Amino acid sequence: MNDHVSDADEHLGRRLAAELPRYTAPASLRVAIVQALDPAPSRRPAWLSPLLAAAATAMVLAMVMLPLLPRMVPSDPSDQMLRAVVSEHSRALMWGSRQSQVIPAALPWLQEQSGIELSSTFVGDDLLTFVSAEPVYLLRQRGLAVHYRDTDGHLITYIALPGGDLKVPDRSRVQIERYRPALVRDSGFVTWVWKQRDVACFLVSDMVSTDDLERFKDYFVRVRASTEPSLAY
Amino acid sequence: MADTEFQREALQHLNALYNFAVYLTRNPPEADDLVQETYLRAFRFSHRFQPGTHLRAWLFQILRNTFLTFYRLREREAAIAEDGVPDWDTPMFHDTPLDEGSAMEAHTDLERAMRRLPEEFRTVLLLAEVEGMPLEEVARVMACPVGTVKSRIFRAKERLRGLLKDYDSK
Repeated sequence: MNDHVSDADEHLGRRLAAELPRYTAPASLRVAIVQALDPAPSRRPAWLSPLLAAAATAMVLAMVMLPLLPRMVPSDPSDQMLRAVVSEHSRALMWGSRQSQVIPAALPWLQEQSGIELSSTFVGDDLLTFVSAEPVYLLRQRGLAVHYRDTDGHLITYIALPGGDLKVPDRSRVQIERYRPALVRDSGFVTWVWKQRDVACFLVSDMVSTDDLERFKDYFVRVRASTEPSLAY
Repeated sequence: MADTEFQREALQHLNALYNFAVYLTRNPPEADDLVQETYLRAFRFSHRFQPGTHLRAWLFQILRNTFLTFYRLREREAAIAEDGVPDWDTPMFHDTPLDEGSAMEAHTDLERAMRRLPEEFRTVLLLAEVEGMPLEEVARVMACPVGTVKSRIFRAKERLRGLLKDYDSK
């Protein structure tokens, strides 16, 4: 009986393998599967993603590193000097004088500290009020600064430094009466630049508008005509 | 195994999987969906496949599990919707109902009888007798011991012989 069943099973198995219809996958199914398995081509070019990633990284690094980078220093000594003078004026504008002294009482002390001798000094008038005088130390040189304030509240800073390296830019010179100082604009300030003997002189202010500039010319004449600096040593 | 190599080897079993899917679903468009879903799953989980083991059995196992998960669930939902009564308490080895009008037509008595077998019986016969799969692989696909596979084959043939005898007598 068991043999009979076993034979019948084998026969049925062979019949299944031989006679049962086999269904073949349509070609469209193969295509659909392959398309579904392959990643869709990106609309972005292949090089764009790494480029964007690199740019983003560079931007973040720049934002982090920028405050740590040394500030760009002008290579020209005159430009360096001008930048230092403007910075000193900005500092006085923001924080006031460090050691304000009254002229002429403090002149001997100021000469000793600054190395600049003032044989005559503009001490103010009805338009410009004397604020203070103090020694300064800019670009490893001693000098002096005198601060005035006009009737509109503008701070005007006169600075005198040893001027051996200073070259007054000819193209920026402006004829004012009998003087020909250079007018230089930097960082939102205007500066008259000139030399008297071996002393580099600067008059700095924030009077940048056209009207203010005319008044600033007048201030220059007042200071220039009344101030005679020279190297003390 | 590289993706392209895995894809190439897996696609070699496309026809066998499709044939199996047709006998499970009795509906070619559904068989298309089932096979496609099987391949998508296989590739999604290809990292779990151990090279050197039987890829064919692994693919058949995915296909059958997908069928049981989704198609049976759908059949049950349809049954609830129509009758309002869940049918998951029906016996495991119940006969498949006669083909509905939407299902594909059977060409021979053998095919018609196969379709009336319960899924568990149909599957063991298709894998062992039609695909010629070793019993160990069939056991892996059906997630049961080899002894259970042998028992199901025996009972499936017995049921099939009975159905064929009915057709002959008619």
